[in-house]
Amino acid sequence: MSVLHLTPLTRVEGHGRVDLVLEAGKLVDVRLALEESPRLFEALLVGRHCREVPALVCRICAICSAVHRVAAAMALEAAMGIAIPPLARGIRELLLLGGHIESHALHLFCLILPDLTGHASLLDLARAGHPLAAAGLELKAFGNRIQALAGGRPIHPVNVEIGGVLSTPDPGALAALAEESRARQAELETLLGIFCREENYPAHAAAIGTRMAVAAPGPLPLWGEELVLGDGRRVAAAACRELFAEVVVGYSHAKQSGSRQHPLLTGALAREEMAGDEAMAGFGIHGNNVAQVQELGKALARVAALAQELAGAKPGEVTLADWQADAGIGTALCEAPRGLLLHHYVVDDFGRIAKVDIVTPTAINQAALEAQLLADLQGVSDEAVLLERAGRIVRAYDPCISCAVHLLKVV
Amino acid sequence: MSSSTPLVCGFARLTSCSGCQLTLLNMTADLVPLAARLSVVAFSMASSAPDPGGALDVAVIEGSVSSPAQLSTLLALRRRADRLVAVGACALSGGVNALASGDRDALVASVYGAPEAVEESFPPQPLSRFVQVDLEIPGCPPEGAELVALFGSLARGGLPAASDYPVCMECRQRENLCLLIERRIPCLGPVIRAGCQARCPSFGVACEGCRGMVAEANRGEEFRLLLETGLNEREIRARLRRFGEEA
Repeated sequence: MSVLHLTPLTRVEGHGRVDLVLEAGKLVDVRLALEESPRLFEALLVGRHCREVPALVCRICAICSAVHRVAAAMALEAAMGIAIPPLARGIRELLLLGGHIESHALHLFCLILPDLTGHASLLDLARAGHPLAAAGLELKAFGNRIQALAGGRPIHPVNVEIGGVLSTPDPGALAALAEESRARQAELETLLGIFCREENYPAHAAAIGTRMAVAAPGPLPLWGEELVLGDGRRVAAAACRELFAEVVVGYSHAKQSGSRQHPLLTGALAREEMAGDEAMAGFGIHGNNVAQVQELGKALARVAALAQELAGAKPGEVTLADWQADAGIGTALCEAPRGLLLHHYVVDDFGRIAKVDIVTPTAINQAALEAQLLADLQGVSDEAVLLERAGRIVRAYDPCISCAVHLLKVV
Repeated sequence: MSSSTPLVCGFARLTSCSGCQLTLLNMTADLVPLAARLSVVAFSMASSAPDPGGALDVAVIEGSVSSPAQLSTLLALRRRADRLVAVGACALSGGVNALASGDRDALVASVYGAPEAVEESFPPQPLSRFVQVDLEIPGCPPEGAELVALFGSLARGGLPAASDYPVCMECRQRENLCLLIERRIPCLGPVIRAGCQARCPSFGVACEGCRGMVAEANRGEEFRLLLETGLNEREIRARLRRFGEEA
């Protein structure tokens, strides 16, 4: 028996390793080890005032900081029975859409595109003057500008607090944003075509895992009260932690959701399939890239409509509810760019945090990712090819290892 | 070094959120001209090219040190690098990770179920506890413009200027209303290092102190002003220490 190590994982967020276990040249087992150093977010929040939580949890991860901040605020609002003003909800949605656009563009252009063109990095592509390099970065920058306008800055946005948001973006800037978003929709096809050609991806099995997504109206729901699964089950937010019932695995610093036999799949591919979109059929897990392309289109359309609507807000319209700290338990479900994110808090009488549970998409996808590696790489015996293909499969999930390794209490 | 030879640099990350690296990748318009001036030999988030080893003009390091393996990485980079730059709150003062202080085994067990579930780790530490740090770029995250200026200065053989005055200086230059005095919002601007152009107060949000303490900060007076905003002593101390040590 021999073990091939793919280490470090590159062009993904965070530190990880894949072990490919071979017997007589045949792949018999796969282990994904997420090697981030434990940061113990759940432990460090306990005993702190709930007001501090949104600013602290966004630091779990830079790429996903906006959605962590919003999910935390929503869960704490649920715990304490706080209703936020409608304008605040709209500004939060705009922030999350900016996060989706930035994150998907980052993944497709900085992390995936070099695989399709045979370069080591986007910097090499930029040096070579590849036309998509600059245009892709432009789209990514647009996502960041949306986050800066709605959140104060693109990484660790400061505008979201419990009760709503602190500040309303300038109406003129919002109207300009709506116009730019409309213009960008028109150029998407030429920009993103390369990700939707099947010949650009290696041979693959069908994508593994029971799909799941937040159940809510609209083409691109970003939060909701319940989950809907591919097998028809609907699960309320409060019952989701049992569904994910995570277990510690000895070789990885993130807990897994679902078992090898019953893996769950979350992310753009699951969302688009649950919404009935067929564009990514036949791509296997690489269809996640195609699904992100579809979502970029939807996100730009929604930004155009929403920014226009927010630009019409009355001057001085309230964005922050008055609230008092109170004991309670709350759970929020959000769709992060990479998939389902759950935040759960128990608050005591003093408004201090008694218990925290955060479930991230990469932790949920871990079991499916291992099963997919095993399925896709059957029959491949050349070691260099195995490693290269394994890297591409991991990248297709767009894993976010910082998020996954915040470590969860054993339920 | 002359400006015609590219600056050989590595960008490493220890215990952090990737925000400092992402800040650099977000400097879209500057990436192409930067790429022409730099020879990046290690940047695993952005490139799959393996690190060939060898001497570095500059090692840029994000994150705090929280495991023996990370300490080895840090020491190896220090040996290879002519200059070592600490970037971001985690590298400078431990960052929010450092709030997980106390009995490490108990904390790990509370999250994992068993302390042996993860490799050996220790409370997150700033880089300067272990190696000489030649330059600090503060912030959580740092300002993209500061990172670009860093590489620009290094490529010309110099170091960028550091701000040694508080956020209030830049806030007043931008003619903002004072959140602390005029609106009684708990803003840390008076005691925090500038360089962000008062980003958050200009957006109407209190400074939370992510750039660390300015030299000779008048802590006592800031404490008194914060008490007047309605925070209690415990809350004020928590705010001042949000990004690790009161650096």
